[in-house]
Amino acid sequence: MKKTMLVMAFFLLAVSASAEEKRYPVPLGDSPTLGPLDAPVTVVEFIDFQ
Amino acid sequence: MAAGPTIKKIMDTYKGKIRLVIKNYPYQYRDYSHIAAEASLAARDQGKYWEMHDLLLKRSPKLDRESLIGYAKELGLDTNKFAASIDGKKHAQEIERDKKLATDMDIYNTPTIFINGRKVVGERPFEYFKKIIDEELKNEKKF
Repeated sequence: MKKTMLVMAFFLLAVSASAEEKRYPVPLGDSPTLGPLDAPVTVVEFIDFQ
Repeated sequence: MAAGPTIKKIMDTYKGKIRLVIKNYPYQYRDYSHIAAEASLAARDQGKYWEMHDLLLKRSPKLDRESLIGYAKELGLDTNKFAASIDGKKHAQEIERDKKLATDMDIYNTPTIFINGRKVVGERPFEYFKKIIDEELKNEKKF
């Protein structure tokens, strides 16, 4: 029983941790873009070429 | 600094499911950061942004004016137009807009990457990104 509780607590913690992951809105504007515009994942990279 | 090969691997691995957007954040005190950003956007005007982007990452830190014009030639760009663009800092406004966005967002390092808004600072191994992207794709399927 105690073990089950522990496992449950672990899962609750894991779920809340990922749900609370902060998301920052980044305006995309007309910046250079590659890949489908409606892709489920958008990666924005702040870059310095040097 | 950029996450070059790692980003490339991500784009290849998740082709069709992922979109990459570049914001310029040239560091103020590096000699060629600004002119390299100008070069990338000058190449964009001639339809070869990504070709130049990749070349700049590959040849960095050799990014002085003459080298950049050489890269433009290598990519078959109109080098007169290209040179006029970087010399005239044609895209300064766009670059400054990106820099302002970066400072407004409290970003101090490059590369800084956002995956569906989730922030990753500095260079990380592919596996690190993979874990986040797989989570995002899994979450997306719920809707």
